[in-house]
Amino acid sequence: MELQDVTYNKSEYVETASGNKVSRQTVLCGSQNIVLQGKVIIQSDAIIRGDLANVRTGRYCIISKEAVIRPPYKKFSKGVAFFPMGVGDHVFVGERSIVNAATVGSYVYIGKNVVIGRRCVLKDCCVIEDNTIIAPETVVPPFTRYGGSPGMEIGSVPECQQDLMIEFTRSYYQHFVPSKLI
Amino acid sequence: MSYIVQPDVVKYACTCGILKPISNLYFCRHCLEIRCSFCVCHEADSHYCGKCAENLPSSEARLKKNRCGNCFDCPSCHQQLTTRAANVGPKNGEDTKATPRKVFYLLCLLCRWSSRDVGIPDQSAVSGGWPERENVYANRLQEIQDMYKGIVLSDKQQKLEKDKKKQRRYMSFTDRTGITASMLRKRVGLPDVPHPLLKSKPKEPTKAIATEDVEPFLEDLLTQPVNLSLITTMEQRLVQPELQPTTVDKLFPIHKHLSVKRSQRCRSCEHNVSKPEYNPNSIKFKIQLFAYYHIPEVRLITVEPLRAGKVSELLIKFINPTQHQTTVTILPYKVQDDLTLEECKSEIAQQPEEKQSIPVASSQPSSLIHSSLSRQPSITIKPRSVTVPIAASIEVPNNTFILPPRDDAAEYDDSGDTHNIQDDPKLVVWRKSNKAVIRLKIIPESDSKIGDEVVVGFIMQHVYVNTITTVDNKEPQKYEHKIKVFLKLGGLVGNE
Amino acid sequence: MPIYEGIGAITEKLVVVMDIGTAYTKLGFSGEFSPRYILRSEVRCKETGIMRNIRDYKNERDLYDLLVDFLHVLYFKYVLLSPKDRPVVIVESLLCPTVFRETLAKVLFCHYEISMMLVVPSHLVCLASLGIDTALVLDMGFSEAVAIPVCHGLPVIHAWQALPFASQAVHLNLKSMLTTSNTGISNLTEWDLEDIKVRCCFVTPRERSKEFGKPCPSLTVCPDVKYPIQGSRSITIPGKIRETAFEVFFEEDNDHQCMSTMILDAILKVNLDLRLQLAENIVLMGGTVMTPGLKSRLKEELYEQLKNERYSKLKIKVFKFHSPPCKDNYTAWLGGAIYGCTELLGMKGLSRENYLKENRLPDWANMRDNLRTL
Repeated sequence: MELQDVTYNKSEYVETASGNKVSRQTVLCGSQNIVLQGKVIIQSDAIIRGDLANVRTGRYCIISKEAVIRPPYKKFSKGVAFFPMGVGDHVFVGERSIVNAATVGSYVYIGKNVVIGRRCVLKDCCVIEDNTIIAPETVVPPFTRYGGSPGMEIGSVPECQQDLMIEFTRSYYQHFVPSKLI
Repeated sequence: MSYIVQPDVVKYACTCGILKPISNLYFCRHCLEIRCSFCVCHEADSHYCGKCAENLPSSEARLKKNRCGNCFDCPSCHQQLTTRAANVGPKNGEDTKATPRKVFYLLCLLCRWSSRDVGIPDQSAVSGGWPERENVYANRLQEIQDMYKGIVLSDKQQKLEKDKKKQRRYMSFTDRTGITASMLRKRVGLPDVPHPLLKSKPKEPTKAIATEDVEPFLEDLLTQPVNLSLITTMEQRLVQPELQPTTVDKLFPIHKHLSVKRSQRCRSCEHNVSKPEYNPNSIKFKIQLFAYYHIPEVRLITVEPLRAGKVSELLIKFINPTQHQTTVTILPYKVQDDLTLEECKSEIAQQPEEKQSIPVASSQPSSLIHSSLSRQPSITIKPRSVTVPIAASIEVPNNTFILPPRDDAAEYDDSGDTHNIQDDPKLVVWRKSNKAVIRLKIIPESDSKIGDEVVVGFIMQHVYVNTITTVDNKEPQKYEHKIKVFLKLGGLVGNE
Repeated sequence: MPIYEGIGAITEKLVVVMDIGTAYTKLGFSGEFSPRYILRSEVRCKETGIMRNIRDYKNERDLYDLLVDFLHVLYFKYVLLSPKDRPVVIVESLLCPTVFRETLAKVLFCHYEISMMLVVPSHLVCLASLGIDTALVLDMGFSEAVAIPVCHGLPVIHAWQALPFASQAVHLNLKSMLTTSNTGISNLTEWDLEDIKVRCCFVTPRERSKEFGKPCPSLTVCPDVKYPIQGSRSITIPGKIRETAFEVFFEEDNDHQCMSTMILDAILKVNLDLRLQLAENIVLMGGTVMTPGLKSRLKEELYEQLKNERYSKLKIKVFKFHSPPCKDNYTAWLGGAIYGCTELLGMKGLSRENYLKENRLPDWANMRDNLRTL
């Protein structure tokens, strides 16, 4: 099935020179700590907490509506420290998902209403299904499909996931077009 | 895209007759056939721990019972356990100068179970030497197992001796060559060395003694209120099959189970169609013959509302994933074709099986030895007939169309290069680099009802350029490859 | 489970032993003393994504596909070995449906290309861990309880007794009792019922059960349990239900049959001189046997039945029970594991060549395989 066009209001979005499309309705705290590598879409009401620690995303990432990207913290005897968070290329984060992971690899698909506990490591080419809760400090190996609450491995991902995700994020970007005024 | 989030709308028929989306199919370049996970031979490649991503050689994995030595799972909720550090001050303040010692314990961050809950002492090293528990019956069972081994072995020996006596008259082959150790011994006059288990007569089993007593009824059950949080669930019991604890105070951390990387092998030509890299974190492959990289991908773009007996227009997109130009022809699919095809296929499939049955003459034990040394040819799975209810006919276009090779650079080029291909404008609606959209006309069957799922099928014939060079021909070979494609178009919205 | 077991473990050949039960599959390697895994016998359906029990098959092809998927999970998620060219020991009930065992053999030989398969009857091999060869074996699994006497290493099949008195019967009973006592609870799943059964219910002694049978029982029932369900709700499990859920086993049906008569009827069908020996060697196995109080209740019931005229001619004075050196739910598996590490595998196993030649699995019910013994 070919993706349908997703239209947006031209005045709502800011497009940067590197092709990032960022909604004005987002909360980007500490924006100097947020690095978007290019062709990244951040949709309305998403929150990225750059004020806690650095957040870096790769190319062609899609952060859907109301998603929260928040660097993880770790408790020490002397207090709490936040750690930078890295997101790879071609990553999709679904609507209303909360990502607290330490690293998200490349070609990762995160569904809707997902909670990724703090300091999780999502390796490349994994799929987190909708409504999954991943416990803190979990490592999700490559080519696995996690689902349920608490999240467990429920299956595998096709081996050509890398190309599927590249194709998906690219075509999402291409189909994410400003609505034409009639 | 459809393969990740949406239901599978476009399915391809595998050679074995199962319908799958293209992302789950393989294409064997040697047989030039489509394969899927059902009809390839899976093999376990390398063991690794999913948490610490450590690779284990298979012998070590076997020694460790397929479990990781360092990582643990929570016995209560089966999530991964984390090692936590705690500082322990010097005892009773007698030696105040000593630095606080670090100790480690295991904690589940989901259900807050910790190794301290069940009284496991904290460890002084991160990797722990966490105590292991042994099967209380191990000695008794070992004894019984050895005894059974002995009995069966002596049985076998007796049988062999019986056979030997029968065959005495003939000179055996080994007699003539006289190489085997036992023959040599016989010649010198030494007695035969028996199997170590045969040395002594098999021990008579120490029989278990039945008793009149059984587990008595616990009166506590009648009076004590039940605290469900203290009683383990079935899942918690069964992850520790040996102990099956009934109360939560006997839950012990479980070594994390290993995972395995799989390689897939085509059953008819014994070539790999997929072989992952050794590194557990790597997502690359040494061999990757996925259909997604070789077969043109078909995507549904739009379909007009379907009405029984009325013509609807269908737009589908073809994408050429290969580095070679290909020509696509759409051929009609008929259910009858499939049946005849299957008949002739099954005849072919039977032949290799007959070939297989020739070495049956060898006795059973030898096959055991053989199997571990040499690979036996695989049995090809008989193809099934495709069972899809086709509820619409398709108007097959007369023309073919060309798909240019894939060009990664073109992805970034918005100029819209059309390769100057002369297309039939009725067929090809749009094209860009290696993609083309074509228009097809379909007619849902007139007797279908509203809401019925409409499925159309056609045979896609495309030119496949095989780049494998053999000794005979160095040039890439061109083949016409056919594959059945089925599209689920959704429900019928109206009648005529 | 000790994680290291010495170098000796490497040199021996790995033989997978599996006991595919109706509810749970026991899986492990020969020569080990407990199964590595006890898993639900179910697999995720490819089309719908919901778990399906492998015994709920529509037809042979459906079963074939289910078993292919199920064994794929077993081999590549748990056993972590290529099934190809490796032997397998299957522990199965003597009353296993032909279509199931034939399809299982077909899947193992044709799809997974195992080199050899040894099928051992569960009622016989469970005696291996005890070192005895004569006993009355009662297997209480999920769908039915089967009693078969084993005499001198041979199952006496004509004396078999089977009744649908096992987990499933308890689940049904429990479900109907719970829905009448808790209004609005009707969608309890099989797994909810199992959990309630395992964590709350037990078998009550005979006197109390008799008292419950009276119109107004004069006894203090055990405390009620509040059981949380579906996250936020909770149901009350009355003490009476906790005690009486298992009563279905001991209530005689229209043919005056219940759990205790099953054992006695099986003994009755055996030769006179073996009867006493069987009564003094009773082996109970299967997951249901692990219920607290079941064994002592069964003993009580057996002695009670002896007073019955039907069984007076048995002249049995005493019943003796074995306690195998393992948990009751994997006794049969353990037997298979002991048999699997002997040379019996090479001697009695069915090799792939022979299977492909004959295209069938030897079966005790088939006259072709029984000609010798007749």
